[in-house]
Amino acid sequence: MNVERTGELLREMLGAFPDGREDLGREILKCEQEGDRIAHDIIYRLHDRGVRSPMARSELYSLVSALDDVVDYAEQTADSLGLYGVEAPMEQAVELAQVLAAAARGVRTALVTFRGGDDLSAHLVEIHRLENEGDRISRDAIASLFARGVDPMVVIRWKDIVESLEQAIDSCETVAHILEGAELDRR
Amino acid sequence: MREGSPTPAVQQGPIRLAVIDTDSGFVRVLAKRLEGVGWNFRTLAAPVPPEELVAMRLNALVIDLSLLGPRAWDYLGRVSEAVPGLGIVVCCEQSTVAQRVRGLRLGADDWIGKPCHPEEVIARVEAVVRRRKRATGPAETPRIVAGEMEVRPDQFQAFVGGHNLELTRREFELLHLLAGSPGQVLQREEIYQRVWGYSMAHGDRSVDVFVRKLRQKLESASPTWHYIHTHFGIGYRFQAEGPDGDATVPAKVESVEESSPAGVSAPA
Repeated sequence: MNVERTGELLREMLGAFPDGREDLGREILKCEQEGDRIAHDIIYRLHDRGVRSPMARSELYSLVSALDDVVDYAEQTADSLGLYGVEAPMEQAVELAQVLAAAARGVRTALVTFRGGDDLSAHLVEIHRLENEGDRISRDAIASLFARGVDPMVVIRWKDIVESLEQAIDSCETVAHILEGAELDRR
Repeated sequence: MREGSPTPAVQQGPIRLAVIDTDSGFVRVLAKRLEGVGWNFRTLAAPVPPEELVAMRLNALVIDLSLLGPRAWDYLGRVSEAVPGLGIVVCCEQSTVAQRVRGLRLGADDWIGKPCHPEEVIARVEAVVRRRKRATGPAETPRIVAGEMEVRPDQFQAFVGGHNLELTRREFELLHLLAGSPGQVLQREEIYQRVWGYSMAHGDRSVDVFVRKLRQKLESASPTWHYIHTHFGIGYRFQAEGPDGDATVPAKVESVEESSPAGVSAPA
């Protein structure tokens, strides 16, 4: 699944940064383009009243948008590393990428479970837990950036990167919320 | 240059200046002129500890001592002692001959009375920096020989057997700092502050990444020697250790020879 693959690639990229595979940025960009294609495809089909939808069309639209957001923010993070000329990683960003990869895995499992009509709650709880963990790490990162005497350029770079990672994780939680609502409707 | 001092001698770019003054009109006009001449400057509304000035790696400081009241003399003395390579220009209103003499004897390089024209301030800072540079010849930036490696501050480069390690500016500054403190464990935060010129954000892995790059270049050129040792959770220590495990103390060679970088130099 595209979301899971993107999360894993970004985790690998930040974990080995600035070394590691040179093609990771390009691979993540491909995932983002693929995500756009999938989203447009689904939205196009939603206009066709003859197609059966597993949930309300407006909910499905929100779900597709949230999934697309996960990939978009992950790609933005990867892009920023190059754009800002980042020379070395920040521990908190590496941890956030690990949380994102885990949350993206959770999203995939939750979607598969939803399609099978099984109980989602354990997967949704795990995604919520990961989102809380992401919040904690982000706050720690931002606080350390605004400690006295830190280079303003470092603050600008990493604040943006940490925020885009956090938004990617938040989007995973949005997916969980939508699935939660759809499951309630289905009961 | 003394150990522990900033490294203006290895700075060839624009002058790095800090202005400690609360006179907003004066600071604004001066800042505009400084922008015009392309200097790297920062304005501070209050005195900062001398160690922070060290981290800023300044060439010069313009300070209004009246901000400090009775603590002014103590501060001036501490700054000139902590940052010996720093040119200090005092710029304040009304002063007596005795005050100016005391300030100059405590370490100020120049004293300007307000009101003054920003161009004059800039010219005086330039003159101070120029004099400092003249006084800071090659003898004060000795090359460092450790194991098979030679650090040449005059070329911002290091060599092994005449082979150029092709260090980036940051890698050179890191190696120069570490090799200049042999046997001493330097904490990551201290290394970052002295090489990058700012406080290290918690979690920033820059020092580790640059040490890794440096090690790769050193190991590639001098595979049987180990130079940089990790102290987990603390930082790094420079110690040249040969194939037999013997440690050598880097030698600081006072004069830089005219010839091209020396080949393999005998360990001290």
